[in-house]
Formats: sequence, C-alpha cells, structure tokens
Amino acid sequence: MANDTEILHYLWNGKLPVCFQLDEQEIHGIQNPEPFYLMVPRMSYFPLVCDKVKKHFVKHVDPEKQEMEMWLEFKNIPLKWNNPIGVLYDLFTIDDKQADLPWQITVHFDNFPEDQILRCSCRESVESNFMSAMKEADMLKHRSQVFSTMQRHQHNQLWTGLLNDKFDQFWSENKKLMEPSDGSYFKHIPVHFYRSGSSVMTQTLVKPVSEDGNHMTLGELIKLNYPSVDNPKIFTHGICIPHETPVQWMSEHMSYLDNFLHLVVI
Amino acid sequence: MDEELTNECNSAKVVTENKEKIEILLKATGNAPILKTKKWMVEKEKTVASINDFLRKLLKLEPSDSLFLYVNQAFAPSPDQTMKNLYDCYNTDGRLVLHYCKTQAWG
Repeated sequence: MANDTEILHYLWNGKLPVCFQLDEQEIHGIQNPEPFYLMVPRMSYFPLVCDKVKKHFVKHVDPEKQEMEMWLEFKNIPLKWNNPIGVLYDLFTIDDKQADLPWQITVHFDNFPEDQILRCSCRESVESNFMSAMKEADMLKHRSQVFSTMQRHQHNQLWTGLLNDKFDQFWSENKKLMEPSDGSYFKHIPVHFYRSGSSVMTQTLVKPVSEDGNHMTLGELIKLNYPSVDNPKIFTHGICIPHETPVQWMSEHMSYLDNFLHLVVI
Repeated sequence: MDEELTNECNSAKVVTENKEKIEILLKATGNAPILKTKKWMVEKEKTVASINDFLRKLLKLEPSDSLFLYVNQAFAPSPDQTMKNLYDCYNTDGRLVLHYCKTQAWG
C-alpha cells in the first residue's frame, strides 16, 4: 500500500473537460445561451460540481420551469448523478472511437426522466448516498468493523475531502478503510460491474482469493462473471487494465472514493 | 418501469429471467409497525425504491412519513439498487432480509 501511493494521487487528479449545452427545445427567449465549459474531477459527482452550470443556464429557460430539478443527458441517455463522473464517461464513450473531448453534455430542466434516474433533492442526498456506499464497502471488506468504529468527525473528513478536492484530508481517514484486516486480503472486494453502453449495474460477492488459494486476478474475476464474453477488455478510470492484475491490489488502489471498484466490461 | 424494460426485451428467455422471483423478509425495527406477512416473493429486477413504495402502501404511511430500508442492519442501499444484486451479495439461507424503520437506524 505505502509503495503505491503515487497511483492514488494520479487517479485523484484525473479530470475531464466537459462542454454543457442547454437543450435547444428548452431555450426560452431569443438569446441562445453560450455553452459552458468546465474541468470536472473524474472521482466526483455531477451535483457537487454543477452549481455554476445551473446558474449559467437557468435564466435561459421558461421562468415557470426554473425551479425544476436540472438533469444531464448524453446522446439521449440520462446520466445518473449517483455514479461517479468518470464511470459515466467511460460507460458511454469507451466504445465510441469518435468521442472527442470536451465531453458534450446536454442540460435539461423539463421532463425529468423519473423512470430512469433518481432525483437529487439536495447535496445531503449525495452525501448520504456516498456514505452508505462506503459503509456497504466496509461491510464487504471488514464485516463493518472499521467504518462503524470511526468517529463522526472522521466520517466528515471523508466527505469534506471529496467535496473540497482535498486528497490528504480524504486519505488520512480512507487509508484505515483500505487496510486488509486479516493477513493480506479483504473479506470480499466491493465491485460494481457495468457493460459498456448501458447504465445497468451488476454486483456480486467477489472473493480476493481464487479456488486454488492464489490471489484472484481481474481476468479470472471477469471470466467468472461474464463467461460468454470472448476476449473481454476491462476499463476503469479510462484505463484498460491488464488481466493479470490482482483484484485485491485493484481494490486498494483503483477504487473510486466510495470504496467500490467500478469496472466497465467491453 | 420494470414492466417497460421487460417488454422491450425481444428474447423470451430474457423475459423469463427477469420475471424470476426471490424471497425477501421484511422486518420492522424501532417504532415501525409490524407486518402480518413478512415474507414476500419479488421480481429480481425490482428496485429498492419500488420496495419502499410497496411497503409504504402496506403500512398506510402518510406522504410526510419517512421510511428507511437497511440491509444486514448495516447500510441503506441506493434506491436504484436491484433486489437481484442485493440477493446475490447478501442473502442468508436463500432469502434477503430487509429491515425497515421510520427513523434513521444505522446511519
């Protein structure tokens, strides 16, 4: 763990340039709004970085609709705010050789797609969703024994570290959650699996050790979960990961901030 | 939502797989009213949000009442999480136990 902290910094600093445009149908009045450009951290969540986007576009929509909840769409797919930004980008662009940066995202206020994405009433919804995911991850890794013994102010360090983009603040507490409790393995590895192009998420119980007693590799894990996929490529953080990578190592070093690995399979 | 998704699938096999049901056990905690029937069979593709709606109707809750669902008495699953994923990870003896309460119990 201590030797590989460079990768933690590298992933933390991963950013995506995004170009936001208001949906043409929703432009109210004669003046077309300028697109809004933003560099967003891959590890963060859209509701935490979009205050300025909302402020920029809200004055260009029908006054009756300005109070409605803003939502985002890419190529007719509503984007789930509860997925990390980097996961959304990888899911819907990795297959597409034409996906140029900046990432073109359409902003909506009207016609919220209730049946496809969750509402995000306030920043606290993001916080409770995020903290619940961390708790679940700790249950999988350490049978809940680390997170639940942390103090309230330690939990706050995790959340405010993410909120304010403070690596040291976040990792001073997160390192406790990333220590294998017995020997060199977690009990289970928290993983969310996705197929490229779909927002459907699959979760299974993943063990860090394979049947033969050796560490489980990424290739073995994908073969177990997707036996019918020939020559799968596995991406996370925009990186194609070699099949021989141990999943325990990945969990410690390549998890998103919610402590889950988010793997996109092609 | 689930019905629509199922209808969109062309393959009959996919449809039957999605319709497959799993057993869940709904247990009251704290001040929540206890259900007469605790055991339910639900479609795998149902989400936590739809179970929450279903339970609110069963318990005849007011729109202003809160209702929280927990897995393993440890964490609140995301509303868009599916029963299948929770069952695959957290079932004990072939059933998924969900605790519900009207105030936050485990964070």
